[in-house]
Amino acid sequence: MKFRGVVEEKKVNKKLEAKDFITVGLFTALLFVVEFACGILGFIHPYIVASYVVMIPLVGAIPMMLFYTKIDKFGMISIMSVLLAIIMFVTGMGYLGAPLIIAAGVIADFVAKSGDYKDFKKIAISYGIFCLWICANYFPVIVSAKSYRQDLLDGGYTAEYCDSLFRAINSKTIAVLLVLCLLFGFLGAFLGKAVVRKHFEKAGIA
Amino acid sequence: MMKNIIEIKNVRFHYKGAKESLQNVSLYIKEGETLLLCGASGSGKTSVLRLINGLIPNYYQGELTGEVMVAGRDISKTPLYELAGVVGTVFQNPRSQFFSVDTDGEIVFGPENVGLEPEEIKRRKELIINEMGIDKLMERSLFELSGGEKQQIACASVAALLPGIILLDEPSSNLDRDAIEKLHDIILKWKKQGKTIIISEHRLWYLKDLFDRVIYMDKGRIKKQWSKEEFLKLDTATIENLKLRPLEVPSYFSVLFNERSSEKETSESGMSNSILLQDFFFSYRSSPYLFRKRHFAESDGDRLELCIPELKLPKGKVIGIVGKNGTGKSTFLRCLCGLEKDCRGIIETDGKVYRGNARIGLSYMVMQDVNHQLFTDSVESEVLLSMSDKDEIRCHEILKNLGLIEYKDTHPMALSGGQKQRVAIASAIAAGAEILLFDEPTSGLDFDHMMKVGLLLKGLAQSGKTVLVSTHDPELIEKCCDYELYIKNGRVESFGGIAEKILKRNEIKESV
Amino acid sequence: MIFVVSAVVMMSATTPFLWGLRIAITMVPIALLIVEKQYASALRFLVLYLAALGLTFYYLTAQATGFLTAFLVGYCSIVAQFMPAMITAWYVVRTTKIDEFISAMQKMHVPDGITISLAVVMRFFPTIKEEYASIRDAMKMRGVMLGGGSAVKMVEYRMIPLLFSCVNIGDELSAAAITRGLGGKVKRTSIEQLKMQALDYVFIFVFTAAAVIFVASKYMK
Repeated sequence: MKFRGVVEEKKVNKKLEAKDFITVGLFTALLFVVEFACGILGFIHPYIVASYVVMIPLVGAIPMMLFYTKIDKFGMISIMSVLLAIIMFVTGMGYLGAPLIIAAGVIADFVAKSGDYKDFKKIAISYGIFCLWICANYFPVIVSAKSYRQDLLDGGYTAEYCDSLFRAINSKTIAVLLVLCLLFGFLGAFLGKAVVRKHFEKAGIA
Repeated sequence: MMKNIIEIKNVRFHYKGAKESLQNVSLYIKEGETLLLCGASGSGKTSVLRLINGLIPNYYQGELTGEVMVAGRDISKTPLYELAGVVGTVFQNPRSQFFSVDTDGEIVFGPENVGLEPEEIKRRKELIINEMGIDKLMERSLFELSGGEKQQIACASVAALLPGIILLDEPSSNLDRDAIEKLHDIILKWKKQGKTIIISEHRLWYLKDLFDRVIYMDKGRIKKQWSKEEFLKLDTATIENLKLRPLEVPSYFSVLFNERSSEKETSESGMSNSILLQDFFFSYRSSPYLFRKRHFAESDGDRLELCIPELKLPKGKVIGIVGKNGTGKSTFLRCLCGLEKDCRGIIETDGKVYRGNARIGLSYMVMQDVNHQLFTDSVESEVLLSMSDKDEIRCHEILKNLGLIEYKDTHPMALSGGQKQRVAIASAIAAGAEILLFDEPTSGLDFDHMMKVGLLLKGLAQSGKTVLVSTHDPELIEKCCDYELYIKNGRVESFGGIAEKILKRNEIKESV
Repeated sequence: MIFVVSAVVMMSATTPFLWGLRIAITMVPIALLIVEKQYASALRFLVLYLAALGLTFYYLTAQATGFLTAFLVGYCSIVAQFMPAMITAWYVVRTTKIDEFISAMQKMHVPDGITISLAVVMRFFPTIKEEYASIRDAMKMRGVMLGGGSAVKMVEYRMIPLLFSCVNIGDELSAAAITRGLGGKVKRTSIEQLKMQALDYVFIFVFTAAAVIFVASKYMK
């Protein structure tokens, strides 16, 4: 009886602890592996590059929904987005997208927090917003479309590849892509939730 | 009279959402004492350790009543990081307790966390490396080390914080004989330094000269206590009744493991019906600059990590595979079930020849970590997944035979370790595999569960399957194997019936 | 300070360069690999890079069209484009100790939370690789590599066991790390005294220079 008070006090404690940082690191690694696996498919044809907005939110939703069940404190999604920004930079996706990634992460964090990390609707929206980070990969294409095109040509891409790439991704379609990200993120959340329910809740670890 | 360094008073605890795991536990441990915690899995040994290192209630949340004092601190009110220099813990799984990727970083990880001066950390690192004799392991990637080596590093990184109390949670589970002996030496050193040591363990034989006191736990309670002398006097029957593993291990195994039996012997008596293996050659070290490995042949000689030109295995028997870690047991199993494509071995049984991918269907391996081979959301669908015709009646029959029918709708991951193993077996049977391979199925199991696995293996053999099991548990071999295959450096060192070996051992005993 | 160098290398390597310069830059991480005695990987990268480069040049001059060649060229140019960054990333992962990394981050005044998480990310890549390898083995034995033809199942059978074991490992890892004092209030120290050495300055200088030349030549056109 003596310590029950202490235990409850612990639950109220909303400061991030070492355990939470490890959880964030683990899921970031998993998410990046998913992203990378999908990314490799992009080598095949430029149109697949555009379809990242569909694939990554859907597949990534599985680890992410499991991640959401582990969050109860503010900051975890934000940190994750910072990590993703760093990794994206390190693996050569450029630094232009970093602000978008982090912004998406922080907003997603706020949205989920407003639902106390329990409200599934809020989680779904939050995940949709979080998925906008994927669009950051396209940033170099859009912001500096002209010079990027020249770079690509210089860089040994054929004109054909560039044309189809730009047909798929330009300042007009980016809006569509952003919406798609959001939409599929939202759908992905439901899919992910279903998987979490099917497996992890049934197995009793979520 | 030395003072109590650890005092656990009337503690009850249950994990969040689980049933009570500790009931009214009181335990007083003196400074410098070495304590052995034994008892079946789930009896609360790990929970007691977690009380002492503070993971309960600071990490694993739940309801705790009672009082735990360690070195004058009230554990439930002490943040975990303050205990870092007081209590050190070596965990069961060598794979998961690392933070770094390299050995040096791992040893200094603790001291750095506590914020020691760099000079002091370096001094300690040197000290620990010398003390443990692990200078050969330095500057290596942790992912390249064997389980035993990882466990040594884990011990070193715990010791680097110079804690007065060291807890070991089933540290030998994933280790082979040699590594266990190294572990024994490390614990002995700590004991001589006057550290308080608490070990929770199923394997008792290597601890005989270490413990001062034995605590026997059952269903969350402390059931019995013995002093060292009392415990060593217990006879085999009493120990077996307590469902503990024996204190002595069969001696002919020590002969085998010590590599003294150099006589090459393969007996083929009583093998009317057999499986013939041919041309099992394999090496992981193929030339790295080429994209494609070439095929191996016997002429590769010493380069081969697996070299079995021909071997006859009796059908419908349990064959125990023994040998040190890294000596080719797992490689042999992997080649046998067709996972290593570059191994061109041929399996011949019932006049049919299997090669290449056909071997995959013929044999099935139950991996050491069964979690990797369970894919679906219920036991039933897991078994049906292996069946091409999705025959539910046969599926239920298999489940019934393995005592799993009542769990058919449960998620495989919600089951206990032994049950998961049986699910994996069920899916192997469903797939129609004739040869069942087990990679160390009993590591980390208590006596009772080990015997259950043994009986299961025997049952499988009686139903006509050929069972190959690699193991470090001599008890398992003595109790349930028909044959023993000793592999050394990827070569068959000896192969023969267990009964004959036991006979031989008795002869040796008599002559001595 | 290895970390700063690699950051600079990567930044410059990912920005498209003049050909000659780019090739030269790519050689740097390869040379670094050789210095660190990672001969096998250095050679493999070198061969792959040269092959991609050769193919790209060959087809570019031929002005080939058609789907297959476009595919091939696209592939090769991606290899050529991302290879430098990949090699560097590989180099960093192979040679940077988590410990060095953490203290480098601390010097750069990155908050602890991010440092710890990032260190965990680095630690988990090899773990995920190991776990995934054995899951694939298990799938091979069960004959479910292609998930019975359904893409959803294909993803599910890989993801679910992977998530289960990674979550377990993560849980045990945090317990082990915490009992060794991670997350304390005291400031972490480090035995790695990272100092900028002459070589580091040279690297930074070379790469900044390369970047400047590149940018200049581009805008002069």
